Amino acid sequence: MEKESISKELETALKGYHAKNSQVPEGYFDQFEQELMRKIHAGATAPKKAKILSLFGAQKKYLVAASLILAIATGYLFYDKIIPNTIAQDELVQIEALPDAVIEAYINNNELIAEVDWNTAIETTGVSLSLNNN
Amino acid sequence: MTDQALITQFQSGDSKEGAFTQLLKRHREPVFFQIKKMVIEHADADDIAQAVWIKVWNKLDGFKQESAFSTWLFRVAYNETLNFIAQKKRIKGHAKQQQLEHSMEHPVAQNALKETAIQIKLERGIAELPEKQRFVFMLRYYEAYDYEKIASITGTTVGGAKANYHQAVKKMTELINNA
Repeated sequence: MEKESISKELETALKGYHAKNSQVPEGYFDQFEQELMRKIHAGATAPKKAKILSLFGAQKKYLVAASLILAIATGYLFYDKIIPNTIAQDELVQIEALPDAVIEAYINNNELIAEVDWNTAIETTGVSLSLNNN
Repeated sequence: MTDQALITQFQSGDSKEGAFTQLLKRHREPVFFQIKKMVIEHADADDIAQAVWIKVWNKLDGFKQESAFSTWLFRVAYNETLNFIAQKKRIKGHAKQQQLEHSMEHPVAQNALKETAIQIKLERGIAELPEKQRFVFMLRYYEAYDYEKIASITGTTVGGAKANYHQAVKKMTELINNA
């Protein structure tokens, strides 16, 4: 038995420890039983608490991923549909607001450019045709 | 009536409270004193013991009697005690400090019990032991449980329980020799 390997001094001290921790107030265990049964009965009659489930527990990462996808998709739609319309509307307003003289000048300048382009094209084509004939 | 018969009676629902009360009367003292030796404070031991028996009431229907009732009961007590100590450590700091403060706050009680310097030192030494070592030592020394049963209660091997006991004895012997 292991107790025999314990020194006399330690054994004496352990006896003291046991004596100190083996004392209870008088009638303690009867009161203990009454209190325990009261708690048990109270627990049995008390309505069961509903289990609280967290909405953002295990699915948190999926919710974050879905939110990001939604945000990106919404952003793309806004960029694709709303922004181009806004630019077109801005241009329309600007043209309407322009004085007639400016518009005429713009058309005249562009006609000149168009003529120059056409002339250049004809000349280039003519050169290539004459080269082919030779 | 044996523990087994009382448990069967409880599980059948026939005089459930009567069977439980019989089991309580039979086992309440060793369980309470085991807990008290672990936590020292009477109020703490009372809280833990109440929690242990409420758990027994709630779980006894599912007890399959694969081990003795006392083994199962002490396992519940072991878990509840360790949970309590861990919780208290988190709230108030290290148990060693608490034990020291408690000893300093109760000099009258110490004098009344005529504690020697060795006994005071032993108390502090016991409080410094790891909880598992302390529980194993108490079961072996004061309850004279065999190592198989202690291993089953504390969820360790027989070798582990023996090692825990001998380490506890070694530490306490060193403490007493240096007193």
